[in-house]
Amino acid sequence: MEKIPIEFSINGQKREVYVKPNDLLINILRDELYLTGTKYGCGIGECGACTVFLDDEPVLSCLTLAAAVDGKKITTIEGLAKGNELHPMQIAFLKNAAVQCGFCTPGMILTAVALLKENPNPTEEEIKDYMRGNLCRCTGYVQIVKAIKACATEEKTIDQLAN
Amino acid sequence: MAEKKFDVIGKRYDIKNIGKVTGEEVYSCDVNIPGQLYAAVLRSPYSHAEIKKIDYTEAEKMGVICIGPDDIPDILYNERIVSIPDKTYRDRTVLPKDKVRHVGEAIAACAAETEEKAFAALKKIKVEWGKKWKPLVTLNDTMDPQAPAIHDHVYLGEERVDVKNNLACERNIDVGDIEQGFKEADIIVDETFNIKRIYHMQLETKSAVCKPEANGGITLWTTTQGIHNVRILLGHIFDIPLSKINVKRITLGGSFGSSIQMNSVTPICVALALKARRPVKLVTSREEDMYDHSSYPLKTRLKVGVKKDGTLTAAHCQVWVEIGGHNIQAYPYLGCVAGWFASLYKWKNIKYEGKAFYSNKAPSCARRGYGSPQINFPVENTMDILSEKLGINPVHFRLQNYVGRGDEFWGQGPTIKSIIRSCGVEEMLVKGGELINWDKRGNPDKKSGVIRKGIGVARGFHTSGTGGPHPGEVIDYSGATVKINEDGSVDVITALMDHGCGTWDAGAKVAAEVLKIPFEKVSIDNGVDTRTTVFDVNTHATRGVYCGCGAIKFVAEKVKEILLNYAATLFNDRPENLTLALNEELNQGVVYPKGLPENYKTIGEIAEYAHTTSWGTIAYTSTLRQKNCPPCFITYFTEVEVDTRTGEITVPRVVMMGDSGTIINPELWKGQILGAYALGLGVGKLESIPYDKITGRLKCNGFITDFKIPTTIDMPDINNIIVEHAHTYEPTGPFGAKGIGEAALSAVASSFGNAVYNAVGIRFHELPITPEIMLKTLKEKRNRREN
Amino acid sequence: MQTDTKILAQEFEYLAPKTLDKALDLLSEYKDKNIKILSGGTDLLVKMKTINLEVDYLMNIKDISKINFIDINQGLVIGAVTPLSHIAREEKIKVKYTALYEGIKAMAAPSIRNMGTIAGNICNASPAADTVPPLIVYGTELKLQSKRGERTVLLEDFITGVGETILKTDELITEIIIPEINKNTGSAFLKKSRVKADLSKINLAVYLEREGDVCKNCKIVFGSVDIKALRAEETENLLKGKTVNSELINKAAWEVSREIKPIDDIRSTADYRITMSKEMLKDGLELSWERAGD
Repeated sequence: MEKIPIEFSINGQKREVYVKPNDLLINILRDELYLTGTKYGCGIGECGACTVFLDDEPVLSCLTLAAAVDGKKITTIEGLAKGNELHPMQIAFLKNAAVQCGFCTPGMILTAVALLKENPNPTEEEIKDYMRGNLCRCTGYVQIVKAIKACATEEKTIDQLAN
Repeated sequence: MAEKKFDVIGKRYDIKNIGKVTGEEVYSCDVNIPGQLYAAVLRSPYSHAEIKKIDYTEAEKMGVICIGPDDIPDILYNERIVSIPDKTYRDRTVLPKDKVRHVGEAIAACAAETEEKAFAALKKIKVEWGKKWKPLVTLNDTMDPQAPAIHDHVYLGEERVDVKNNLACERNIDVGDIEQGFKEADIIVDETFNIKRIYHMQLETKSAVCKPEANGGITLWTTTQGIHNVRILLGHIFDIPLSKINVKRITLGGSFGSSIQMNSVTPICVALALKARRPVKLVTSREEDMYDHSSYPLKTRLKVGVKKDGTLTAAHCQVWVEIGGHNIQAYPYLGCVAGWFASLYKWKNIKYEGKAFYSNKAPSCARRGYGSPQINFPVENTMDILSEKLGINPVHFRLQNYVGRGDEFWGQGPTIKSIIRSCGVEEMLVKGGELINWDKRGNPDKKSGVIRKGIGVARGFHTSGTGGPHPGEVIDYSGATVKINEDGSVDVITALMDHGCGTWDAGAKVAAEVLKIPFEKVSIDNGVDTRTTVFDVNTHATRGVYCGCGAIKFVAEKVKEILLNYAATLFNDRPENLTLALNEELNQGVVYPKGLPENYKTIGEIAEYAHTTSWGTIAYTSTLRQKNCPPCFITYFTEVEVDTRTGEITVPRVVMMGDSGTIINPELWKGQILGAYALGLGVGKLESIPYDKITGRLKCNGFITDFKIPTTIDMPDINNIIVEHAHTYEPTGPFGAKGIGEAALSAVASSFGNAVYNAVGIRFHELPITPEIMLKTLKEKRNRREN
Repeated sequence: MQTDTKILAQEFEYLAPKTLDKALDLLSEYKDKNIKILSGGTDLLVKMKTINLEVDYLMNIKDISKINFIDINQGLVIGAVTPLSHIAREEKIKVKYTALYEGIKAMAAPSIRNMGTIAGNICNASPAADTVPPLIVYGTELKLQSKRGERTVLLEDFITGVGETILKTDELITEIIIPEINKNTGSAFLKKSRVKADLSKINLAVYLEREGDVCKNCKIVFGSVDIKALRAEETENLLKGKTVNSELINKAAWEVSREIKPIDDIRSTADYRITMSKEMLKDGLELSWERAGD
C-alpha cells in the first residue's frame, strides 16, 4: 500500500506524516509520534482509553483512520497541560485520588474536560452519564466523579497539589 | 488502642501520580527500543487438538522471524512460582509441543518491522492438526469419567504425577470430628452455590518488550506483579544466568492477580528476541487477553450445623473448580479457599474437600482474593439462612461466631497459622449497622410494590501477605535499599510493584516517617530493575503495605542508625543522646541533641558532611520476611432496589467498613474499597464469560462488546456512600498497618445477594443476578405461590 | 478466525472526496469493486477488525460539508454525515422530536456520538440501532443519490435485514428527511441494555397524536426483537381512534408482546424481551400521551 502524506496539528504543532490507508490514528500517535499517553484498551470503541480530541471534540483514536485527520487538529493528553502548568482537571484528578493504575486516566480526563466545556456545571447524574463510556477497573468511578465535580466548582492551582 | 500520631503516615499527597495525568507514565506497552520488531502470536482455533506439525517456512519468506514449538526449550514449568517448588505443579512449555488445550492458546509467533506484517505472516504458517476432541467447558463435562484426558501426566516439583479423570489436584482437610459436630447441631443447612469465572479486564493488556544484549543476556519490560520471579523463570527456561537477565520494574495498568504468574506472552517475546537478535515488542489485543486468563470459578456445597443458641457445631465444605487448560497453581488456591472458609467463623469441626479439574478453557488464575469472594458468597449466604432459621439477627449471629482477636487463624491455608492481634470486626458490624439503619430493614414477606428495597450485610477478610511464624508453602519476603542522597533526599530502591493501589506511595511514606523527612523528598520511582534491587516476591496477597513496606521500614530503620551514628560524630555525642525529628518550618528532617532542638543539623547537612568527608553513603540494603499475615477485615451493608417489573437491581446506598489497622493513605485506601465494590457489583449483577459448548470459544469472542463491566452509572451517588475505618492498630505491621486490597472485594457480592434476599425473599445460589434471571425467578416464585 | 483489534490488518485503497459530486463519481466508478463508505467508522471499522469484513476501497465522506447540516425550516432535514452529537444539540429536535433526541442520547457514549453519523447508523442496518425506531415513527424518508439520479424512499422500506438495505452500490444516502409533526403529538424512546453505554437488548419508539382523550394516530416501532426494526401495526390499529385509558394501554401491551418475535442471544432472552415489550410499551404510551398534551 502506498503511503499518503497527511498534515495535521498535534498538540498545537503542525506535523507532516506519511501514513498507510489502514493506519489507525492511535498507532500513529503511539508508534510514530511517541505520544504514548493515548492507550489501547479494547480496539473496538468500548472502553474510552484511546480518547483524543479531534477538532476539540472527543473521539476514539482506535476507530479513526490516520488518513482521515488530514488537515485537522488533534489534542492528546500530552497537550492538555500548558507547559509545566497542569490543566485544572489533571489537578482535580490528583487531588481527589481519582487515579489508580492510571491506564484509563488520559481518556477519562479528556472526556471530563469535554464535558465541562459542554456543560460547565454538571450534576452528578450528568457527569456519570457523560462519562459512561470510559471504563475503569480500579477506582469504582466514585473518586473520578468527585474530581470532575470538584473541578467544575473549585478554583484550582498547582499549589493545591500537596495539602 | 489509641491512635498514634504520625508526621507523614495518614496524610494526603498526590505527587507520585503526576505522570499518570499528563500521559507521561510509561507502561510496558509504551516502551519503544530503536530497531525493535513487532510480534504477533498465532493462536489455536481449537479447544483440544493434537498438533502434528507447524511449518512456518512460507512465513519466513516474507522476511519475518518465526518461532514454533521446536524453537523453544524443552522445559516444563509453572508460570507462577510463588509457592515452594515441591508444591508447584508443572504442566506447560512456552508453546505447547503436543497439543493445544484451549482456544486461543499460543502455538507460534512472528516478529516483523510492523505489526501488520507480523500479523499477515501468521496466515502463512501451516499447522497440521491431528486428533481433535470435544471441548470440556463445564465442571460436569470434565468430571465425566468418559471425558478425554487433557493432560496425561504432569510434575509436582520433581515428581511425576499421572492425571486421572482430569483431576489436576485436590486438598482435603479435617479439623475435629464433624460427625460429632453435626450430632450436636439443632439445625443443619446444606446448600450448593456456584460462582462463575470472571475475566480480570485490567485495562492494560499483557505485553512485553525484550532487548537481547551483546553478552547473551536480555533486558525486559513486561506486565508483572513481581519482576524477580519473571527473571528466575526466564533464567530457568532459557538457561541464562540471572545476572544476565534484567527485568525492569515498570508501571502496571491494573492486574488484579492476572500477572502474579509470568504472563504467557513474556517468554514468547523473549524467544523471538533471542532468535531475531533484535528487540521485540509484543502487546496483546484485548481478545487475546481474554483468552489468556480468568478468575477461578468455584462450586461449593456447604453443610453447616448450629445449636439453637446460635453456636456453630460443624461445617462440611466441598468445593469443585474447573481450572482451564493449565494449572496455574490450583493447589494453593484450594488451600486458600479452605483458609478463607475456616477463618471466617468458628465452625469448631471442619471437613474440607477441594478438587480442581482441568478444562478446555483459558487457564484460571488469581483474581483479587484468590478464591475468597468465591467462598465468601456461600458462607455469608449460609450465615443469613441460619440466622433466619434461628430467628437471630444476622449481625448478632456473626458477632457471636466470627474468628477474631486472640483466635488462631489460617487464612492463607493450613500451613500458615497465626494468632489474630488486631480486629475491628465488632466495631464495623455495630457501627455499620447503625449507619445503614439495619434494624429498619424489614422482612421480605412484608414488602410489596413495584420497587422492593432490601439491605444485606456481609463480611470478609484477606491476609496481609502470606507469612507465618514458620515458613509455609509460599515464598514471602521483600527487600529494599534505602539511601540518603548527598542533599538529604532519599531513594527507596525496591522491586516492590504497585498496580495503582498506592503501594509506592505507602513505601515512600513509611521511609519518610522513619527518617523524618518530608514526603516529597523520597523517591520510590521507576528506573530500578532486578539488577539493582534485592528480591521481592510479588505484590499479591494484599502484602504490599504489610510485607513490602514492612521491609522498607526495616531497612529505613537501619539507615536511621547509620545516620545517627554519623550525626553523633558530628555532635561529638552518642547516637542514643540524639533526636531525629521532622522540622515542619524548615520542611526538613533534623537531628539535635536531646532537649536542644535549636542546635539542630538538617539531614541534608549531615549527608553532605558524610559525603565531603568521604565517610560514605548513608545507605542500607536488606530483605525481610514478615512472620505473620494479619487479617484485614471488611464489612459491607448494601441497600438494593429491585424493580419487579424489569428485574433490574440498583444499589442506592452502601456503608463500607474496613479494618486496615493504621491507614497510610486515607484517600487511596478508600479508593481500594470503592474500586473493589464496583468489581463486586460486576460479579453480583453483570459479568460472566460463557463458553460455547460446541466450539469451545468464548461466546463474546474476546470482544468486550459482549462482556460488560460496571460503568459510572452503576455506583451509588457520592453522598450515599459511606466509607469508614475501624480504629485498630496491628502490632506486627509497619506503623500498625495491615492491607486492604483483596479484603475489599471478598464480601461485596455476598452483601448484594443478601440484600436482594431481604428485598424479594429469593436466595440466589448463582451469580450474576441479571434482570433476565431476576424476572424469571420472580415469575417462578409467583407461580409457586399461586399453585 | 484470528483477529487483532490493535491494528486494521486489511489493506485497501483510501478515497477522500471533498465534494458530493466527486463522491458520486467515485461510487459510480468503483461500484463493482467492493467499495465501502466510511462516514463515522464506529461500526464499519469494528466489523473490519472483528469479523474481517472485506473492503477493497474505502471512501471517507465525513468531510463533505454539503451533507453535514441540520435544516429546521420545514420538518427536519439532516445531512447524511452530520454527527449524532450535533443532532442531539439542536433545540427543535429536543423539543419536538423527543424520541429521536432520546434515541441518540441513549447511544454508546459522547465520543462515539461525535464520530458516528445518522446515515451511518441507518446503513449499518443493525436491528439494535437506536436511531432507527425513532426515525421510523416520524415517517422519515431518505434521499438516495447516485450519478444516475436521485430517489426518495421510506426508511421503513430501506432496511431489509441484518446489515442489509436496498441501497445500490453506486448510491449514497445524502439526506434524512423527517416530516413536520402536528401539534398535540408526543413521542418517546425507551431502551433496555446491560449497562448504559451498550447495545439495546430491546428498544422502543412511540409516537402518537392526541385529540382530547382519543389517540388519533400512533406508531410503535421496536428494535432488537427481529432481524430489523419491527413496526407493531396491529397494536397501532388497536390504539388508533380509541379513548386512551389504562385498560386500553394494558390491552395494547398484551397485543404487542404477541406481535414481536424476539430470540435468545448473548445479550438477553426472548422471554425477557417479551416481558419488557409490554412494560416498555406501557411506559412509552404513557410518556408520549403526556407529552402530547391535551
